[in-house]
Amino acid sequence: MSTLDEVLTRARSLVGRWEDEDCGTVTVKDFCRYAAALNDADYIDRAREREATGAPVEAPALFLAATMSWEDGPPERELRPDGLAARESPCTEGLPVRQVHGGQTVRLLRAPVAGSRVTASRAVTSAERKQGRSGPFVLLGLTTRFTTADGTELTAVDETIVVMEAIDSPGTP
Amino acid sequence: MNPPVAGDLCPPQRYTHSTVQLFRFSAVSWNSHRIHYDAEFAASEGFPDVVVQSTLHGETLTRYALAWAGPNSLLETVSWRNRTTAVAGEPLTWTGTVRTVEGARVSLEVAVLKADGTPCVTGTVQLALV
Repeated sequence: MSTLDEVLTRARSLVGRWEDEDCGTVTVKDFCRYAAALNDADYIDRAREREATGAPVEAPALFLAATMSWEDGPPERELRPDGLAARESPCTEGLPVRQVHGGQTVRLLRAPVAGSRVTASRAVTSAERKQGRSGPFVLLGLTTRFTTADGTELTAVDETIVVMEAIDSPGTP
Repeated sequence: MNPPVAGDLCPPQRYTHSTVQLFRFSAVSWNSHRIHYDAEFAASEGFPDVVVQSTLHGETLTRYALAWAGPNSLLETVSWRNRTTAVAGEPLTWTGTVRTVEGARVSLEVAVLKADGTPCVTGTVQLALV
């Protein structure tokens, strides 16, 4: 079985199986550091002013969607050679692959507010073998739903991941 | 700003992402994929330098759309497809065109273009004008 066939088989066995991940309680500092990485000093000023007056502080719009993982770890020794953790690279553990994001659709339903505890529920939704200009690949579809403890849905993300054979893999064109 | 109508062109925005920004965005989004901060590794996967994160493109698509629409706009949905990679230091241009206006909802076709006009990312942003 080829590497991509193995990815496909693993992915199809996971389709529809939802897993929950505790994102913890999101804080103003989390939001501000995220904004700082975007060079958004205005957001930081506004957020800290609102915090000082006791007003609710909303996260930057794509804060939840852009965060790749909410795990505590893993330590470096458990990462794949490309730096990804198993959670961030579903269906590829131990396989010589490279991967990139295909795209995303993000729906903002309600802004997360600092102090909220958030859960991310995620599932593989599809897995298809495709042929591109640079060779075959597997297109994985994933869906993540972010909710608060009372079940309020905050953000919904549908994304695709393109999984290809590693460049030095025997099956690579 | 005058009320938007379908076909309006947003002023293009030119920018680059620095290697420091890519590193900080990877750190803050807990994204340890080496193509985003390890140039040697990125080269081993066929990229000329460290690669701009897909989610950072999503932020750019959204932020320039919101800046164009003004302070009374809210993001409802953003959707994008990655066409080709962009790397640190590369001159990029954000473009936007009003696709539809339905009441207080405005939908924009947006893109991030390379210097030669090749799209890195294309997508749509839907905003609510409140």
